[in-house]
Amino acid sequence: MGTRLAGLLVKEMIQLLRDRVMLVLILWLYTIEVVICAYALSFEVNDMPLAVVDLDQTSASRALVESFLVTDAFAPAGYPASAPAATDWLQTGRARVALVIPERFQHDLARGDAPTVQVLLDGTNSNMAAQARGYALEIVNRFQAAPTTAAAAGGGVQPVVRVWYNSDQTYTSFVVLSMIALAAMMVGVIHPAASIVREKEAGTIEQLQVTPIGTAELFVAKTFPTLVIGLLSIFPSLLIVWWFGVPMRGSFLLFLALTAVFLVSAISLGVLIASVSRTLQQALLLSFFSLFPLMFLSGTLAPVESMPALLQTLSLGSPLRHYMDVILGVFLKGIGLSELWLQALALLAIGAPLFATAMLIFRRGKP
Amino acid sequence: MSGAGDNMIEAEGLARRFGHARAISAIDLRIARGEIFGLVGPDGAGKTTLLQLLAAILDPSEGNCRVLGFDTVRQASEVTSRIGYMAQGFTLYDHLTVAENLAFAGKVRAVPQAVYAARSERILAMAALTPFLHRREGTLSGGMRKKLALCTNLIHQPPLLLLDEPGLGVDPLSRRELWRMLEDFRHEGATIVFATSYMDEAEMCDHVAFLDHGSITAQGSPDELRARAQGAVFQVETDNPVAVENVLSEAPEMLGSQWRPTDVRFVVEPAKGLSNELRKQLEQLGRVEPATPSMEDVFVVLRKGVRTEVPTGIAEVARLAASKGHREPAESVETRRLTRRFGDFVAVDDVSFEVNPGEIFGLLGPNGAGKTTLIRMLCGLLPPSNGTARVVGIDIASQPRRLRQRIGYMSQRFSLYHDLTVHENLAFFASAYGIKRRPAREAIAWASAVTGLHGLADEAVSGLSGAVRQRLALACGILHRPAVLFLDEPTSGVDPQARSRFWRLVNTLAAAGTAVLVTTHYLEEAAYCHRLGLMYEGRLIAAGDLAALRAGLPQDGLETIEDVFLAYIERERTQAVRPIGEAR
Amino acid sequence: MKFTRIAAIVEKETTEIVRDPITVVVALLMPLLMLFLFGYAISLDVDNVPIGVFDQDRSPDSRALVDRFIQSGYFQLAQDFTDNRDVEKGLQRGTVKLALVIPPKFQNTLARDGTAPVQVLVDGTYSATANLVAAYAAAIVSDFHSEASPSVHVDARVWYNPALRSVTFVIPGLFGVILMAFPPLLTALAITREKESGSIQQIFASPLTPAEFLTGKLVPYGLIAFVQIVMVIAVGFLWFDVPLRGSIGLLLLVGLVYVFCTVGIGLLVSTVTKSQLVAMLLALIVTLMPSFLFSGFLFPISTMPYVLQLYTRLFPVQYFVDFSRGVVLKGAGLPELWPSVLLLFAYTAIIFALAAWRFRKKVA
Repeated sequence: MGTRLAGLLVKEMIQLLRDRVMLVLILWLYTIEVVICAYALSFEVNDMPLAVVDLDQTSASRALVESFLVTDAFAPAGYPASAPAATDWLQTGRARVALVIPERFQHDLARGDAPTVQVLLDGTNSNMAAQARGYALEIVNRFQAAPTTAAAAGGGVQPVVRVWYNSDQTYTSFVVLSMIALAAMMVGVIHPAASIVREKEAGTIEQLQVTPIGTAELFVAKTFPTLVIGLLSIFPSLLIVWWFGVPMRGSFLLFLALTAVFLVSAISLGVLIASVSRTLQQALLLSFFSLFPLMFLSGTLAPVESMPALLQTLSLGSPLRHYMDVILGVFLKGIGLSELWLQALALLAIGAPLFATAMLIFRRGKP
Repeated sequence: MSGAGDNMIEAEGLARRFGHARAISAIDLRIARGEIFGLVGPDGAGKTTLLQLLAAILDPSEGNCRVLGFDTVRQASEVTSRIGYMAQGFTLYDHLTVAENLAFAGKVRAVPQAVYAARSERILAMAALTPFLHRREGTLSGGMRKKLALCTNLIHQPPLLLLDEPGLGVDPLSRRELWRMLEDFRHEGATIVFATSYMDEAEMCDHVAFLDHGSITAQGSPDELRARAQGAVFQVETDNPVAVENVLSEAPEMLGSQWRPTDVRFVVEPAKGLSNELRKQLEQLGRVEPATPSMEDVFVVLRKGVRTEVPTGIAEVARLAASKGHREPAESVETRRLTRRFGDFVAVDDVSFEVNPGEIFGLLGPNGAGKTTLIRMLCGLLPPSNGTARVVGIDIASQPRRLRQRIGYMSQRFSLYHDLTVHENLAFFASAYGIKRRPAREAIAWASAVTGLHGLADEAVSGLSGAVRQRLALACGILHRPAVLFLDEPTSGVDPQARSRFWRLVNTLAAAGTAVLVTTHYLEEAAYCHRLGLMYEGRLIAAGDLAALRAGLPQDGLETIEDVFLAYIERERTQAVRPIGEAR
Repeated sequence: MKFTRIAAIVEKETTEIVRDPITVVVALLMPLLMLFLFGYAISLDVDNVPIGVFDQDRSPDSRALVDRFIQSGYFQLAQDFTDNRDVEKGLQRGTVKLALVIPPKFQNTLARDGTAPVQVLVDGTYSATANLVAAYAAAIVSDFHSEASPSVHVDARVWYNPALRSVTFVIPGLFGVILMAFPPLLTALAITREKESGSIQQIFASPLTPAEFLTGKLVPYGLIAFVQIVMVIAVGFLWFDVPLRGSIGLLLLVGLVYVFCTVGIGLLVSTVTKSQLVAMLLALIVTLMPSFLFSGFLFPISTMPYVLQLYTRLFPVQYFVDFSRGVVLKGAGLPELWPSVLLLFAYTAIIFALAAWRFRKKVA
């Protein structure tokens, strides 16, 4: 048993190290992809092109315009002459937001008549529009609170908003961590699937079946290396985590342990896919199409709370969803097993039956 | 076709490189109208590259070539729109039916509808494919697929047909039909150029060119070429082939030898001839007489640079045989009414036979006769539907794990890990058989010695020729010194010299007491087997040595094994038709 | 170009596609699956965010503020805290995404000074919505008790998508993304498959010209792609109720051009690869990934670093996404959208020129 298993493991390792396409894919997923996405993806509202229609042209109106433009959220797109002209700008996409300040703005303000400022938003990107509207409201609120407006010092409740765990509210930490989770998922599924199907295609699986190698040994040899690779690949991405200044507040060991549990379910899925495919192409198509829903239902692309109830329930079955809680929790919140035990349990509850089924089907698949 | 003259193909100084590797170099070729021209050579000689250059689907690095009077580079489309070209392997659309594949070819070639109807009917009848018109191409046997591929290239009646190893992986029956079609076609005035590693096909050519390492080493009619080996081929009838081999291996003039069950055939350098000294030595061991050269012998003479090395592992094999402590059961393989069904289809039907230790048992039969299914059952890869089988006394159904310790299996695909080196493959399979580190080192050294893999330990398998892969696959299968060796078409797609070498190895292993069960397409290889089993449509229709098989038939004058084989199948066919007719 | 030869290829290809049920299923069902996943699962809307409240005042005013949160529709009360440590735990475990901490004597301070501080703690781990959550919360808090003296009224009007529905935003973009995800992959595989099986050699050694062969491959896969786009558009409008403000004819017409563009990319990929595996990975890298990430479909391009913005210009998806959103949501026509359309035409032409140039009837 020992000799055979050792021989199998050595063979798998050599094959993995010689498989350039797979190595490049793994490296790409864990590093380059993470970096690109971290730089590229953001839901933040930044430099939204703003068209300004200032029909008042007074110091007060200019102060209001100025308070819009000093923020990062908006960038001047130009000054259309009238409100209809601003509408055209929105239509052609020259501007995404238009600010229309009415005539007699300063005059009304001084008299306490509360003039109405129009903010027109291009709602095609609903998320950005919602944020921009929030910003606009906040800016106008602050404007009226400021002493320069000469209005009576407005009362009201002063919100002190503090965002925890990710205080600068950059999307980067989230993207970096979720991309690493996605990479673990993809490698965990694709690598065992490819390595099993490849043996089917080459006919070597048949050669193995006439040797005394048992199914259990073969199963271990096909799954264990992926687990090792999956855990080792975490380390290069830690460099990226460090580069983007993502904090590591929790226990690294706990993180590794839960990653291993997560990988077990991914690997089991890969083995299942390999059992039902005959060619590499089929295996890749299948993994691709099973990864899709898992990814969608995980909260990596969109928050789970915003989904319909049915999908929220379904999402409980996606190991990626629980792993996302783990990775965000450990890195950003610095929490430990006492808070994450539910997620750990969920990962086990998904992984164990998957693993058992994979093993069963793998055994049956052998003639 | 202006300017074609009488030469269909004229090539001068043709060469092609792939990167730094020269596939072919400095080829001059003239092929006349109406000829059958054979390109013969070992694996990797450049046959495929040359045919692709002639078909104008590959540009030469140097030289020029005119096909049907058109330049293959500047007028490539003129060439491709006229010729027929059949690539190696199965290159039709397997999801399309026979009729659809042929119709596609007809439309692409713009064959008028009326002409197509008449012609396709005739061609399909010729290929005996008419009953399978609506079968998908992928479900046909290898022989039928090849015939269909030929049909799709005949539909526009090309003046020139280029065929790349048309007989590869095709059973002898289908191969015969294929050749009949080509003969008919040739009578209609077409020219045929084909590549082959089958020497019997080379005999049927008007002209043969030997290709080796990308150059033509000899050209001429088969008779002319055979003349070159005249007086250089001998055979020694002996009961001590090992001693004969040893004598031969010392002789400087020896070019190659072939070891068959009752004699050793060898080729010496024609210029030197057989020296008296060698003759004397050999005469002490058996009867030496000159033999008529075959194309295979010509091949050996022409490749004189490559000396067939004599396996050095014979001594080790002998030692191993002597050291075997435990007694083997009387029969190494014993099947009783073994049957395997796939749904309604009976792949192996009620087969009973046995193989003794030290015996080479050859299973012959056309594609789809059930040979591979039978072997897969005996290896424990497929459970039998009915019947029993014992291999070295172990029941195949109930003790698969124990069975696997005692058998070696080599599939026709030479299942090796292409991304591992030779040594890594051996080391892996040694561990797969549970051989511990130190004994594994010995086993690997032994198997490499037996199969002649010296100096190749660190080569990647992906870069090896078919012949070396074949020997490596064998080495991997014998590491654990199995009592029974199952070889499923072990010589398919390997050149004649490598085949002969391989059979010598098998012989050596059998001599040491290993029972060998082997399937093959090459009927001439039946001569290497001690006993034969003929399979047809899942049944074992005859078994015994060649003499017994001949005696089993009423007719006389069945010279070759091929004649015997076909006679049995013919008999089976006529018998089989009757009961079905009665049932209706 | 001979019509009969093209027809022969089209016929052969169609028969093969029909006989390969996996491909047909993938081609027709996957876009719908994606449409539904995106339509339902990708919603960046903020509603029913679970919040926790630590009310240390327990006065009518403080309760009124909490009520404001609940009635806004964005938030739902998940937990009532009694201890500062609970607040922290709640956020850590993720049971609440926002904690509202009202200080003691909130009502008194408000009455006395006319102003009072309130703490809003937001879980920023999921920053895509954390921003919004924070903005909404801040707006609710500052609005509270300040109605008395508004100095400026804001009339914020959202056009084209007044309800700010994610689906309305996602689906018109999805037309472009789905078409880039499947047709190139299928087309690339269709040609590399012939390379792998060797049947392409029979094509080489035949009178078929490269243009005829490519056209023959293009037609059936283009047709499949067009069926996909019609299907996705129909489901998008009929099932998801996305308003169509522009001309459907224009959308389909430019859609057709885009279809050719995507299939052309598949052809181009197939001319540079020999194996199906590489074709697949390459197709993923040049089509699927960029269409999701670099098309402006979900993630705005304007916020990317400049170099990446240039990179996104390499892929045609964003031109079609811009066009499709313009037609569907804004009711724009050619006068407004001609630059995107023009780019799409040019792109398609270049792709075909490249593919025809790369495809040679030679084995090496």
